[in-house]
Amino acid sequence: MKHQLAIVIVAIAAVIGLGASGIRRATPLTLVYPANFGNRISIPDDNPMTEEGVQLGRRLFYETRLSANNRVSCATCHQQAKAFTDGLRFSQGVDDTPTPRNAMSLANLLWVRNFFWDGRAKGLEAQASFPLTDPHEMGQSLAVSAQKLQADGRYASLFAQAFGTPQITGQRIVQALAQFERTLISANSKYDQYLRGEYQPTTSELNGLQLFFSNPNAEKNIRGASCGHCHGGPKTFIELFHNNGLDTVPADKGREVITGQSIDRGRFRVATLRNIALTAPYMHDGRFANLEDVVDHYNEHIQPSETLSTFLQGNQGGMGSAMSGRGDLQLGLTTAERKDLLAFLHLLTDSSFIQDKRFSNPFIP
Amino acid sequence: MRIRTLFLLLLTSLLSFQTLFAQDRATVKVSGEVTKPLQLSLEDLQKMKPATAVLKDRDGKEHPYTGVAVSDILTLAGVTTGQQLHGENLAKFLLVKCADGYEVLFSLAELDAAFTDKQAILAYQLEGNALPAGKGPFRLVVPGEKRPARSCQQVVEMVIRFAKD
Repeated sequence: MKHQLAIVIVAIAAVIGLGASGIRRATPLTLVYPANFGNRISIPDDNPMTEEGVQLGRRLFYETRLSANNRVSCATCHQQAKAFTDGLRFSQGVDDTPTPRNAMSLANLLWVRNFFWDGRAKGLEAQASFPLTDPHEMGQSLAVSAQKLQADGRYASLFAQAFGTPQITGQRIVQALAQFERTLISANSKYDQYLRGEYQPTTSELNGLQLFFSNPNAEKNIRGASCGHCHGGPKTFIELFHNNGLDTVPADKGREVITGQSIDRGRFRVATLRNIALTAPYMHDGRFANLEDVVDHYNEHIQPSETLSTFLQGNQGGMGSAMSGRGDLQLGLTTAERKDLLAFLHLLTDSSFIQDKRFSNPFIP
Repeated sequence: MRIRTLFLLLLTSLLSFQTLFAQDRATVKVSGEVTKPLQLSLEDLQKMKPATAVLKDRDGKEHPYTGVAVSDILTLAGVTTGQQLHGENLAKFLLVKCADGYEVLFSLAELDAAFTDKQAILAYQLEGNALPAGKGPFRLVVPGEKRPARSCQQVVEMVIRFAKD
């Protein structure tokens, strides 16, 4: 009896020992971000943040073997110097077919819950598999990607460090990518420095800030551009889908294609304005080459339609009527006010974010 | 090439058919801490007991809306209302989701006739007509609030959950 008990104890000790040596636990990583960003973040229970997972994800983000022709990586369309965009209206994937929509900037994705211009993917893990497998983007199944990484001996140990065992699977590829993307936090622009009391904006920048966040009120003589209605708060976006009056009859129906509801026609994600000066061209189809054109659009080119967001409709007491007193779709900003608004938008550029070594290409020493 | 064009045409027509179909069946989904998940269409709501509520809109004027009491919808879905709304059930909330992603939150007690006389409704009519584009087909009307921000428009979903703190 005593003998049996001893065997059991030895067996348990062996299992524990094996666990300690065979399966290495990855190092938990706590993300640091400003308190004013709030804690409505998304990290799935089955993909906790770890140092090793993020490092693997960074490598995979720049790994061209995840594409069918071994020439395209995530970073092809999401370049750090351009706040993870590519400067193009539409991107070119492995088959040289242009993508249907403009590549989005990757910053502060930790707070995003529904991804893409139309919000069709819940969570970064689900998002990542779209461009990887889309025949017009990277064009390769996750299974083939896993096989190709398997052929490179170095990856097995990186996956083991990140996930405990050396198996390379499609799920682990997207999980590591998602972990890396969650670390892409941009919170050190001059605007953030201003909020921390470390930067004194110019008069023009301050006036732009005031216009950005104010709702116009003709009676009280308050000038405003109502940008904060959708781009409010320190994150400069609220997770909303709006028809911002680009077209009366939109060529791209936007969110309607996903929901099947006509009330969603021409609705697209409210994009973050973080690093906006670096991410031209603008809108889901990259129709505006520069920020001046964007401000002009909101100022005087809002196109009416059934699904135009109500706050942009002058006849409903929106900014148009309040600003111009004409009940139309014009915002009525002066030339000086437009300049001030642009000055504020440039305050959102985070130069430390685009130079951060933690986000750069690990294949370039 | 021809096959691809044909395929695209087929796909487009299928998508537009799906869109048409969906438009006819705009619904409000009720889920979460319910015993009976619901997917309510306009017809379903019209079969329920009508309720009215007056809302001072952004135009500064008061407008009468017709719909169904939110508490009646919750009761239909088997949510803990009325006599059942006590103890831990008081830590439940209702999250109302709109088509544009806008969300507003209520504690269950705020909506319950046992707690308040201000009856919030899910409206489908404004002054006897269907709600105008941009607001409808379904809008929450919460009377007695200084700002209309919780009387949210184009409601698509109601989720009931326990606060988890």
